[in-house]
Amino acid sequence: MPSKNIIEIENLHKSYSGHKALEDINLNIKKSKIFGLLGPNGAGKTTLIRIINQIMKPDSGTIKFDGEILSRKHVYSIGYLPEERGLYKKMKVGEQALYLAQLKGLSKKEAKEKLNYWFEKLQVTNWWHKRIEDLSKGMAQKIQFITTILHEPKVIILDEPLSGLDPANSLLIKKEILELKKKKTSIILSTHDMNSVEEICDEAAIINKSKKIIQGNIEDLKERYQDNLWSIEYIGNQMSFSNAVWGGWEIIKHHRVNEKNNKAEIKLFDNLTINQFTKGIIDHVEIVEIRKKTPSIQDVFLKATANE
Amino acid sequence: MNKIGLIISREYTTRVRKKSFILMSLLGPLLIVGFIMLTAYLKKGNKENYEILVVDESHLFDSILRNSTKYHLQWAPKDKSYDDIQKIFKADEKLDLLVYLPINLIKTNSMTAKCLYKDIPSTGAQKHLSSIINEAIELYRVTYNKIDISTYKSIKTSINLDVVDIENKANKNIQRKAIVGMVFSIFIYIFIFMYSLQVMRGVIEEKTNRIVEIIISSVSSFQLMMGKIIGVGLVGITQFLIWSLVTTIMSFTVLPRFITDKYNPEFQFSSEEISKNNTLMNTSNEIIQFIIYEIQWPYLIFFFILFFIGGYLLYSGLMAAIGSAVDEEADTQQFLIPLTIPMVFALMMAGKVIDDPSSSLAFWMSEIPFTSPIIMIIRIAMGIGDSSVEIWEIILSLFLLIITFIGTTWISGKIYRKGILSYGKKASYSDIFKWLKL
Repeated sequence: MPSKNIIEIENLHKSYSGHKALEDINLNIKKSKIFGLLGPNGAGKTTLIRIINQIMKPDSGTIKFDGEILSRKHVYSIGYLPEERGLYKKMKVGEQALYLAQLKGLSKKEAKEKLNYWFEKLQVTNWWHKRIEDLSKGMAQKIQFITTILHEPKVIILDEPLSGLDPANSLLIKKEILELKKKKTSIILSTHDMNSVEEICDEAAIINKSKKIIQGNIEDLKERYQDNLWSIEYIGNQMSFSNAVWGGWEIIKHHRVNEKNNKAEIKLFDNLTINQFTKGIIDHVEIVEIRKKTPSIQDVFLKATANE
Repeated sequence: MNKIGLIISREYTTRVRKKSFILMSLLGPLLIVGFIMLTAYLKKGNKENYEILVVDESHLFDSILRNSTKYHLQWAPKDKSYDDIQKIFKADEKLDLLVYLPINLIKTNSMTAKCLYKDIPSTGAQKHLSSIINEAIELYRVTYNKIDISTYKSIKTSINLDVVDIENKANKNIQRKAIVGMVFSIFIYIFIFMYSLQVMRGVIEEKTNRIVEIIISSVSSFQLMMGKIIGVGLVGITQFLIWSLVTTIMSFTVLPRFITDKYNPEFQFSSEEISKNNTLMNTSNEIIQFIIYEIQWPYLIFFFILFFIGGYLLYSGLMAAIGSAVDEEADTQQFLIPLTIPMVFALMMAGKVIDDPSSSLAFWMSEIPFTSPIIMIIRIAMGIGDSSVEIWEIILSLFLLIITFIGTTWISGKIYRKGILSYGKKASYSDIFKWLKL
């Protein structure tokens, strides 16, 4: 039976000269999803990515690629845009893209056809004969993105793909990433940009100090790290609001919205539900809105890494 | 095309298409031929004619000292003192040399004649002067002793010592061949150094461009390193072959215009001819002719390429490792010095090897891989299969070179693999040893 995971990592260890880079990593990356690989600087994300790309060998542990033990032949099924990336400055854009595509196993003819398609799609056709040194950083990044995805790999690993891009190009690349997902490509996105994780990722894992802390669906993660925070807008006296229910909650923030309206952010403790709380205040103030505050992925990240 | 082939072809084509490569390909042979012609020209002496003032205290030389247009003699006034004549010589711009023949020169055998100059005369001019003075004294003594001139001429000899190897009588001119060997050893040094440095620069370029991680996600780091080494090496061989070809063509089209006689290998060993034609123009022609016809070019070129490949593979692997360990070229110095020392040492020892190409110094330096390409090419130029170098020595040397470069490439591969991914800090020797252990 084909695996539902494109990548399965088990008990992965890696250390260099006494320093542990990865410790007992277990990770499953689902097919046709965008997977966010998060973690502070130096947590071991790049090492993990390099091991998946077979640039480095792990000390122990296994990696399965689409159900098979990862081997040399899988390099053709992976597209990699490293964080430390660049191109040959003196080489022409087209030649360079052809070269990189051929290294990924495409024939020259195939590579040319696909490049023509992508160059047109990302509006870079007239750069073919330009040298990389004549392009801006953002322009070069578009070319790098094309060479990463050109051979239609099953897995695309993008390390900070949006850094250095202007908002328009950033949007363009995000759109392309989502389109790739539609075409059943699995994408691993390593980034510090939490907004884009929230926008496009389906799943995420956080690695900190060489260990995996959490992994899961973005919404589940948020749920797991929610603090039972609620935002309540009401009309009425602040004193009556505060004294309506005794115990089991606290006010985090409170401010006036206008003449009549107030807004409070409250945290409920375990022994009090929102229904009980609402029953308590309903006779004292007029409720305009009650909304549950879910943590952003940034909150999850900060909390998860702070706990360690 | 397989991946290593792709890398080789990229490394090769990007370099061969560079303007600097095309320029070097044309400039190299021009420099070589120009150098040969310059040597010939300098040998000829930049002075066409000498105007020589002769002070003859004995008054015996004026009739017997051989005069010529090239070395034109004029006699100093007899009533002036030597000091006054020196003043005249200094004042007269037309005069080049002042020859002083003391009074008792003709009577004793050990007196010295003097030659005062404004610009130092060529060795040829010096030789000519001493030979005409000797000739004059001899002639004077012949007449003085009433010896028949024809008898004297039949007694007079001019012997050249022909140094010949007993095993191979054709092997003459061994020292001259050594000069060609020396030139080739300098070439092999330049080629090995220049192209292995290019490998190092290429590695640093890929590292600073940050493209290396993209490439090694498709090919192994060892494939990338070897592809680069082979590609750049082929550029070196191409360059050398272009040089050889263009130089050959130029030698047969441009140089013969400077050669008056068709070359005859026996010509130079005829002592009679030499004494008759001991003009300097002939010497320079002889050198050009010797270089063209006497050297075994096919062997020399064949072994040059083999030893270049061997030496280049040995050094370029290590250079690739150095390139991978640094972030910029300025940091390479500390690692480059230990690599250049053996090569420079070999060049320094080349003179000693030429003096005695079959000495144990020559043997060991041409067998030890780090110096062998430079030294062996000298010994090969001096003659294979005779007193200079045996064929088994060449084979052993190549074998050792191959074994060593396999070893160094293996070590370099390990360093390279770690080095190319370590950004932002300059590696130290201890880091490199750590990488080797892992």
